Amino acid sequence: MTPTYPQFEISFMPGVSVTTMNLFNKRKDVAYYEIGVFTDEWKPVPFVSQYTVIPMKYLDTISFDVYVSNDALRSVEYICSQSKVNVRTTVTSKICSRIK
Amino acid sequence: MKELLIAGALLASCSPAYAAETPITGNVQTRCLIVTDTNGVYGNPLPSKLSTLSADGGVVPVVRYDVTLADAYLAKVTTPTQFSTAPALTDAVTWTGSTTVTNTTDVGMAGYEAAKVTYGSTTQYDLVVAGSTWFSSESAAVYGVNKSFPGGSYTALILAECIAK
Repeated sequence: MTPTYPQFEISFMPGVSVTTMNLFNKRKDVAYYEIGVFTDEWKPVPFVSQYTVIPMKYLDTISFDVYVSNDALRSVEYICSQSKVNVRTTVTSKICSRIK
Repeated sequence: MKELLIAGALLASCSPAYAAETPITGNVQTRCLIVTDTNGVYGNPLPSKLSTLSADGGVVPVVRYDVTLADAYLAKVTTPTQFSTAPALTDAVTWTGSTTVTNTTDVGMAGYEAAKVTYGSTTQYDLVVAGSTWFSSESAAVYGVNKSFPGGSYTALILAECIAK
């Protein structure tokens, strides 16, 4: 998932900031990824995106926006993607970008 | 009128010869990729034991991390502490597991194994060198006290994380 260190910008909605993330599926055995936003203590932060669970084919790249209210923005530390498992999968992968 | 058209056509056909500069641009984004190199399989050497060790008839799962920027990510690999799918179990399961670096693409990664930090079932590595690293995770589950696992299909998950520093 890129960028490694995303930066939030003012969105078209008052009181809401947005950043754009890119996700690349390098795993043949995974078809879905779940997006999450977390604090530095790994507590979930409410967010809005086009997707919460993203369907992705092997080697697909997808861009998506993550919207967070300005009130919650201070507590945002990580934006993560985590693979959803199927019956053939024995590894769950989680990749997190960090807000600096 | 005819002269004007001819003059226009001539002007249009006269293109000066410039040295053409065709730029080639590229953009390498910082990223961490996690790829399943080998899916693990539990062997069943004893009725009460499931193990990924080859000596126990299992296959050790291997995960590869590809990192394009040095010193930007932490790798955390967590071995299972529960089954994600299993028949109904009526006794406790004792889990053991460990993670080791089994292959690298850069000699600078030779110190990863010595510098790893283990807490609980999680092993953490500081990916200070760009390149690929292969991690192997052994896992074993023992059911009750010499109790036989019920027949059925068992699945447990390795959690491989790549966290920006």
